[in-house]
Amino acid sequence: MSSKRWRMQLPLHVMIWPGLILVLLFCYGPMVGLIIAFQDFVPTNGLFGSEFVGLKHFEYMYSLPQTTEVIRNTLFISVMKIVAGLLAPIATALLLNEIRRESFKRSVQTLIYLPHFLSWVILSGILIEVLSPTNGIVNSLLASMGVEPIFFLGDQSWFPFVMVGTDVWKEFGFGTIVYLAALTSINPSLYEAAVIDGANRWQQTLYITLPGMLPIIVLMLTLSLGNVLNAGFDQIFNLYNPSVYATGDILDTYVYRLAFVNAQFSVATAVGLFKSVISFTLISISYWVAYRFANYRIF
Amino acid sequence: MGSRRGRTHFILVSSLLLALTTAACNGNEETTAPEATGNGGATKASESAKNSPAMKEGPFGKYDPPITMTTVRALPDLESYRKGESIDDNLWTRDLKEILGIEVVNKWKVNHKQYNNKITVSMISGDMPDFYQVDAKQLQQIVEAGQAADLTEVYQKYASDVTRQSYEEFNSIKLKGATFDGKLMALPLNGGVPGGAQMIWIRKDWLDALHLEPPRTMDDVIRIALAFTNDDPDRNGKDDTYGLNLMKDLFGGWAGLDGFMNGYHAYAYNPANGSGTDLTFVKNAEGKVVLADTLSEVKIALGKLQELYKAGAIPKEFSVLDGNKAGELATTGKVGMAYGEFWVGTWPIAGMKKENPAVDWRPYPIVSADDAPVHPGGRGDIPTSFIVVNKNAKHPEAAIKILNYFHEKVSGPNRDPNYHQVKEGDVNYQVFSLSPIIGPGFSNQNQIDNDLVQEALRTGDVSKLTSSAKTYYDGIMDYKKGNLDMWLWNALFGQDGAYSITNAYDRKTPPVTSVYMGQPTTAMVTKGPILRDLEVKIFTEIINGTRPVDDFDAAFVAEWYKQGGQEILDEVAASGRIK
Repeated sequence: MSSKRWRMQLPLHVMIWPGLILVLLFCYGPMVGLIIAFQDFVPTNGLFGSEFVGLKHFEYMYSLPQTTEVIRNTLFISVMKIVAGLLAPIATALLLNEIRRESFKRSVQTLIYLPHFLSWVILSGILIEVLSPTNGIVNSLLASMGVEPIFFLGDQSWFPFVMVGTDVWKEFGFGTIVYLAALTSINPSLYEAAVIDGANRWQQTLYITLPGMLPIIVLMLTLSLGNVLNAGFDQIFNLYNPSVYATGDILDTYVYRLAFVNAQFSVATAVGLFKSVISFTLISISYWVAYRFANYRIF
Repeated sequence: MGSRRGRTHFILVSSLLLALTTAACNGNEETTAPEATGNGGATKASESAKNSPAMKEGPFGKYDPPITMTTVRALPDLESYRKGESIDDNLWTRDLKEILGIEVVNKWKVNHKQYNNKITVSMISGDMPDFYQVDAKQLQQIVEAGQAADLTEVYQKYASDVTRQSYEEFNSIKLKGATFDGKLMALPLNGGVPGGAQMIWIRKDWLDALHLEPPRTMDDVIRIALAFTNDDPDRNGKDDTYGLNLMKDLFGGWAGLDGFMNGYHAYAYNPANGSGTDLTFVKNAEGKVVLADTLSEVKIALGKLQELYKAGAIPKEFSVLDGNKAGELATTGKVGMAYGEFWVGTWPIAGMKKENPAVDWRPYPIVSADDAPVHPGGRGDIPTSFIVVNKNAKHPEAAIKILNYFHEKVSGPNRDPNYHQVKEGDVNYQVFSLSPIIGPGFSNQNQIDNDLVQEALRTGDVSKLTSSAKTYYDGIMDYKKGNLDMWLWNALFGQDGAYSITNAYDRKTPPVTSVYMGQPTTAMVTKGPILRDLEVKIFTEIINGTRPVDDFDAAFVAEWYKQGGQEILDEVAASGRIK
């Protein structure tokens, strides 16, 4: 490589360094701290001075009475969220795409996007009111149809579905926008050709729109798989209560109650590491699957 | 806490003590009193003081040349300083430098929310200041790591009389909380008289509407709860009221169960949002230390609560209501009774009087289910916040001198309002909070003030009121003249107010506190949260009727012992820190 070329590229290198340094400093640097997952960490002894205990904290984590139940809840809720969170925006995007009136389309788009900006702290307060079995609007509606009031947030069998439903309601507007953007990138001449060949709307959707969206769908799915162990701490922490621990308690809330409140750094780190390893594996697998079956590469 | 003023008889006693000690000290070279405060007996002592080249001995001896002490500070969310002052340079730091010859240097300062993390990071890096504030858990770690200076001797030698009185009130509970293996390893910053005693807050206007008397027994409480639920106390023709408020954490100072349980001589306390390590241990009939929450009295109380829930007297959805939501039930006039602490008068119900003058919330003492007198449960007698002196600090006694100076200016008989709270323009500057060490002072200041206010209300003589008591008294008078914004002062300090109730508790039926004085044990930290979840879950399910009351023994008590409770009890028994 000539030094002339190097000199030409120098500004580009300089531009990437600050970002690179920040990533190294704040994303890779702290990974040194992972060793406290294998120690009986006492802050006073420092990062390297604490006694090494091997996998003790991982064993502790598995020995906890509710761990299997909690992992099951986490997977159940997050898989449902991933599936519903994928289907709802795709369907909405396809429906919106059929609408001719631009102004109507835009206002719907904006309205469904709005909840995305509200924090769960605020939304939880609203949801507790809305879903209240005594004076909530949902149960008033149900009552007018002759249905007994349902204690959505206090009932073990309802709770996970309420979590999925409210999460999808909050986030599907955001996904819709992404998919609508993907739709605009489909070449209109494909539709014109299909019409000439006699394809109806449904066939156009099936053979042109969906395949055209596929790369984005795969991308969104792959990215969301990395979150399979994040079932939504903010949401569940603000909405759950002891009577729904059995079906609503997820890894993050469990660890929060167990370890963070009492500053059990080692246990918390062990759980964090466990989650990261699982997420990393899942992302790798889905990346490979996406390449293999959809011939799509993200990176 | 403890930073408010004291009282006349108190001044008399303490100046007498001061005189005695100064007399005793004249024999040797020890002396008291900084020049700035020097009055009364203290001045005489300082006149007779002899200069030593390095420093003068005694609680207020000056270092010459001045020494430097490093520390770190937590800052409040809203910092406000008078002109020319800052956390690094203010009335306190200037005084300490001029009068005691101690220059305090803040190595760093962060928002109080980040303080604990930053302390932890400092511990890791080993870069600790000469003295710093820690919580109970950190103190234990620091002591175990051998990083704290042993203050036993310097305390004996340098603590001023006010500091001693503060530390020795209530059976020296503060000192005991900072003592490890007989050695004083830190300066406690709180603790003392137990707080947390509950009372029953009731809508008196609802009682009147239904021609009911305030409760005398637990049966009355249940009767009132049912009447409030079924007899339309707000006379709006709708079945939309509850008798007894309850929130999902089950225990706590507002809409908790603590006081209700106390009525059955049960002392369960383990809020769902708590650490699971703040437990109440009691001695059972055989003298063995057990967890109060596992005793049969708790089961009786839970049975009564289940009946109330079935009758619709407890909010159907209490298990999802946090304190705020439960507060809304009260402020929207849906509930007429709740157990809670004195501060319920300030929140959530304080504004109701102004919105609707007919609303009449009043505190009543908790009542017993039988003939035995009822003692409220109490907490917070054991200190949880401390100043640790670094074992490498050259002058560990300087920390005690700073503490002495704080107590001298804020808590003692020679206290000076300019060091406590100063009003300039519209702003109240909390000058005391700038001191590098904010001592605990005397923990029953509000109770003392309440006695003074009651006296003044009877006699109309305001001359004996401390400045804080005067504020309360003026608030009450303002309220009586019709300023409904001032309702809370009447609720707290008025005749039969919340503090009159806690004062009566302290005098006749003192709070029951945990017999365990130590910090959370290993098993408490590791198993406590699981056991807390178990307890809250089973209790919730018993109250809302998902489980029969009899599940208490098998599903809770037996499980509690099995899942780590026995381990906790063993550690507590072995700790040697039982009252």
